[in-house]
Amino acid sequence: MNKLKETLESAFSDLQVSIPEDDRLTIFAPKDAVLSILSFLKSKGYEHLALVSCVDWIEEEEFELIYILSAYMQKDDEYTDKEKTNIILKTRISREKPECTTVIPIFKNAEPYERELHELFGIRFEGHPRLTPLFLEREYKIPPFRKDFDTREYVKKVFDEIPFVEDKIGQT
Amino acid sequence: MRELELYFGPQHLGMVGNFSITLKVEGDRILEATANPGYLHRGFEKLMEYRTWIQNFPMVCRINVIEPDSMEMVYAMAVEKLAGIEVPERAHYIRAVVLELSRVASHLFGLWAYANTLGFDTVAQWAMYHRDLVLDLFEELTGGRVYHIYIWPGGVRRDLPEGFKDKIVTTLHSIGSCVPDYDAAFFNNRLFYERAKGIGKVTREEAKEMGATGQVLRATGMKYDIRKVEPYAAYDKVPWEVPTREDGDAFSRIWVVRDEMIESVHMIFKLLDKMPEGEVYNRVPNPFKWNIPKGETYVRVESSRGELGLYLVSNGEDKPYRVHFRTPSYPHALTVLEKVLRNASIADVGNTMISLYVVAPEIDR
Repeated sequence: MNKLKETLESAFSDLQVSIPEDDRLTIFAPKDAVLSILSFLKSKGYEHLALVSCVDWIEEEEFELIYILSAYMQKDDEYTDKEKTNIILKTRISREKPECTTVIPIFKNAEPYERELHELFGIRFEGHPRLTPLFLEREYKIPPFRKDFDTREYVKKVFDEIPFVEDKIGQT
Repeated sequence: MRELELYFGPQHLGMVGNFSITLKVEGDRILEATANPGYLHRGFEKLMEYRTWIQNFPMVCRINVIEPDSMEMVYAMAVEKLAGIEVPERAHYIRAVVLELSRVASHLFGLWAYANTLGFDTVAQWAMYHRDLVLDLFEELTGGRVYHIYIWPGGVRRDLPEGFKDKIVTTLHSIGSCVPDYDAAFFNNRLFYERAKGIGKVTREEAKEMGATGQVLRATGMKYDIRKVEPYAAYDKVPWEVPTREDGDAFSRIWVVRDEMIESVHMIFKLLDKMPEGEVYNRVPNPFKWNIPKGETYVRVESSRGELGLYLVSNGEDKPYRVHFRTPSYPHALTVLEKVLRNASIADVGNTMISLYVVAPEIDR
């Protein structure tokens, strides 16, 4: 792991690489470097993209995109430390104009994850072939997983307008 | 021939669960398949940001209806990691036993769905009956049949009741004694072979490319199993094998499921034998005033469907800041399914989907 850290630091500039705990490597990179780091890691054998996620840091007015990678086994029945490692690649994009390049050319299975983030956080992934709705039925003014979308307030606003059946029964 | 659009599900005999596939067909051949999740989107990950760490347990287990225990386990593991809580040795063993029991129950449920699709109604009823026997065990242990909320941060909720080990052994023996019947009626049945061989074939390279884990990958020969790759609970304490097959089709996947059930049962016997005495629970702080230090973590377990991960972020408060589950059905249903259905026939859609072991609530979350 330390070796990987060194290789990464020598191959790329402005990276912050840390090892927060055993078998976990965190990389913080600028937005433009994500694609090249992902393809570099893929060439090093970390070819399983487990998750693409997003955290809304509303106070800092930024979205944090998270790519979690791990390695498949090299041999069919030999377990090494390599598969144990999870690499967490993080990058920040502005909340005002949330845009990022898609990673589908490198990892095919990023397609639904990016589609989900587009729908729930409103992040545009350039080059994504279908940023169509995945889960939601309606269009919300604020994408619903952002921190400034208050679920409870929304529910109250929408459903308070509909009268209760009980009230009607009382009247007749 | 004329191209048609065909809706497969959510109301369809070949569809288990709230999921639908839009097929573009020409005659019987599928030109293009589009998976449509979202019929069960409850926004759990958002709702969890409004509830305290402990209050989230009733929601976590509902993400995968069929196998709630591994969801509890992955959430408990993440909370333990962020808060730095140790788990007693005995609790590790009990957790592993409960997880394996739920794996058996989940596989029996999967077998029910699959056998039903192929028209093996008798086998399906057997599987459902045997799953019920496992649920009886859970009822005695936890009070709940389907949702258990038994695995907590710091251990498990309570110790095994008196005589419970013997009950597990008796129940598993009575299920295990039916394996020859299952084999004769289903697994060695020529009809199963004819119907499943070569269906929904995924090669090793395709599986790796599409982020597949679990049976989809193990059916191509790779012994990739998080229980071995990154052992948790007590999985590194007893010897056990990872069953695999070579062909990567529906037939191989269902055989992997069968072998895995048998391996799980053997593993439970070994775990029960080796289980140490002692505490099962390390006290955690008052859940209403429990602030977890700032941090983030990614943990993963092997659910009955593949790699189940959780990315959990805390900003030092009494509620999670961000929760994101990496559920195994997500890539299987959205990426793999769309790929393998291309050029398949309409009659094989249900067969393929259930052999990929797709659970809709897990995709939507």
